[in-house]
Amino acid sequence: MRQKWQIAGLFLLLAGCAAPAPAPQTAAEVAPAAEEAAPAAEEAASAQVVIAPGQTIRIGGSFALTGPIPDPGKDIRQAAEIAVDELNAAGGIDGFLFELVAEDGACSGDQGTVVGNKFAADSTIVAVSGGTCSGETFGLKPILQRARIPFVSPSATNPDVVDAECDVCNRVALSDALQGQVDADFVFNQLGLRKVAVMHDNSDYGKGLAEIFQNAMVALGGEATAFEGVQVGDTDFRAALAKIGAGQPELIFFGGYSTEAALIAQQMKETAGLENARFMSDDGAYTQQYLQAAGAAAEGTYMSFVAGDAQAEKLAAFTEAYVAKFGVEPSQLGPFHGQSYDSIQLIADAIRRVAQPDDSGNLVIDREALIAAIRSTAGLAGITGTLTCDELGECGAGGVQIFTVENGAFKQVAGFGM
Amino acid sequence: MQFAGMALQPLKAVRIYCEIRVMVKTPSFPTLVRLRQASAVRWWVRLLGVVLLLLLAWRVAVVGLAEGYPASFWISQTLNGLVLGGVYALIALGYTLVYGILLMINFAHGDVMMIGGFTGFFALQLWIGVGWLDGSALWVVLALVLTVVAGMLGSVLAGITLERVAYRPLRGAPRLVPLISAIGASLFLQYSVLLIFGVTPRAYTRPALIEGGFRAGDIFVPYTGIIIFIVSLLLMLALYLIVQRSKLGRAMRAVAEDKSTAALMGINVDQVIVFTFILGSALAGAGGVLLGFHNTVVKFNSGFIPGLKAFTAAVLGGIGNIPGAMVGALLLGLIEALGPSALGIPTEYKDIIAFSVLVLILIFRPSGLLGEVLSEKKA
Repeated sequence: MRQKWQIAGLFLLLAGCAAPAPAPQTAAEVAPAAEEAAPAAEEAASAQVVIAPGQTIRIGGSFALTGPIPDPGKDIRQAAEIAVDELNAAGGIDGFLFELVAEDGACSGDQGTVVGNKFAADSTIVAVSGGTCSGETFGLKPILQRARIPFVSPSATNPDVVDAECDVCNRVALSDALQGQVDADFVFNQLGLRKVAVMHDNSDYGKGLAEIFQNAMVALGGEATAFEGVQVGDTDFRAALAKIGAGQPELIFFGGYSTEAALIAQQMKETAGLENARFMSDDGAYTQQYLQAAGAAAEGTYMSFVAGDAQAEKLAAFTEAYVAKFGVEPSQLGPFHGQSYDSIQLIADAIRRVAQPDDSGNLVIDREALIAAIRSTAGLAGITGTLTCDELGECGAGGVQIFTVENGAFKQVAGFGM
Repeated sequence: MQFAGMALQPLKAVRIYCEIRVMVKTPSFPTLVRLRQASAVRWWVRLLGVVLLLLLAWRVAVVGLAEGYPASFWISQTLNGLVLGGVYALIALGYTLVYGILLMINFAHGDVMMIGGFTGFFALQLWIGVGWLDGSALWVVLALVLTVVAGMLGSVLAGITLERVAYRPLRGAPRLVPLISAIGASLFLQYSVLLIFGVTPRAYTRPALIEGGFRAGDIFVPYTGIIIFIVSLLLMLALYLIVQRSKLGRAMRAVAEDKSTAALMGINVDQVIVFTFILGSALAGAGGVLLGFHNTVVKFNSGFIPGLKAFTAAVLGGIGNIPGAMVGALLLGLIEALGPSALGIPTEYKDIIAFSVLVLILIFRPSGLLGEVLSEKKA
């Protein structure tokens, strides 16, 4: 344990050192004699991104390639690559092509901070797509806000990912404020259950959603018999489940990711008091990996998903390009590919609106103008519907869908589009 | 964790230092003060221990028991704890065996277990492919036994490779050097598996024969749990017989006692050390496969936390002491399963309880519950 922390601490330290390092260097190059010029020079350099002919428009990407949900992370990355390919095939912007700088955000706040510092230190990064997970995005958020790099997350659903103070924060995914409410409504009104136990994985995402679900359930008149946390990476939940079983709940709601969700679904069948309890989880567990890991125990469990308003025609074209390039159906890996594709399209659309050529043939992108342009996106046609960003940075369309597992496959039973 | 070896016996270190000073006949004033301080510290530590125990008893009586869980709940949790303890014991024995002989903590041992889990997973996929798991109960049992054997072989291979590549060249080096090498080996194993097999967790498929469990009223024990407990007891018994009754076991004990004298007596020390790694790794491999069946997932880092817990268990029982590792592991499993409910704290803090036990043991009884039998003279 200590060993890991020390390594993480070392990385943080290195990352922390890396960020301020370019400032004196630039100062030294620009005005070696006058040190007072340093802040001014840096500000001038960071206010605009100047792309010389032959160079690319670099968009950062923070994807959860390792950590608890590697498959959905990979799916999101690959979808972003498809979007970049498509933009480049269409000629980019005035001949300037796009480039995706993919980094592993690992679905964790620590790693999000590392990735954020990397992007902040790289003056060629124009905007960022990501992070995949809410905790990871909380790591990115303050750093990108300070560095004036706007980001659009395809899949971070915690309500606090965007807020009134943060003008660089945007997302295409829908907020968990909605998902938790819809889930509670489904459990209370459609399943007719009153006694629930709430579990979460102590991630910003899982715990946040679990709290929203619990509050919504109690507000409807239901009862929460337990609120138990576990850890991402745990494999034995029997002690926690035994405790929950003592309260005889009718349903367990788990806020978290697929691996833990699958293990809980399996182990609750082995716990006294929970034999007949039902199981519900969220968009973090709405994956093929859940079905595979939980096996027979997945049957009859419920999952909710913050679905986009899928545009069948666009989605089909996207899927075709995706299968051609990666040889696998996107839905085999994870659910958020449409949102990821749209996040890149949204960024590219905003860049197109603010990018100006200068006299020497460079492409100049003003950072503040880009931040405003992303926020003022309206009526952009994406795979997940017509995207319009509100004043908080909520750009997504669609609604919450609820699925059950039948014969080893997800089948929608309620929610958006039914 | 790097300094655990040094931190094991802080008080003893002070005492030994003082004794050396006395031996070289320089009873300087600071030495006398230090001697007096050491004994005062010991009294304060004891007092602290009593206070902590009273606080613990108060917490259990006032908070834990006041929750009013039924008896079946406590029995279920106890059984969970015993199963957990069985797995920890299999891993902890590897730490203890290696420590007993080489006085080094093999931090890669948890990852050796993970390698066993992976080997078992692929063996299981093979049996599924051949169709053995759909056959009669006899074939299924055979497939399961072969899965465990495959896991043991995988771990043994990893264990002896580590010994040859990472530890043997450093045998004469100061004690911290092989420890650092072990940490490097641990990371090497984890990230090799990450690179080769990817980050996606692999799911064990349980055959129908061991799916479900035994039920008596409100008490339920999964069959995998029963199997883990029985198999771990059998393997521990086998280990005990090997160490105490066989010729190789006698050689092991001789090498643990004194390497150079054992060599003079005609014992091939290198061979005995390799044999020790084989024994420890085989137990860990079995643990990895059993844990795979019980919790159904293996992943590149799934050996890390169980490895740490097993190390805790080994220290709890007295590292280097074989019965100590078994007792420590079962105790740690029980503490982890019963602790959160008894103390009335959320189960997510079970790891904190486990590691608090490690810290408390290091403070109050640095040589473990049953004592560091083999290494007394070298500490």
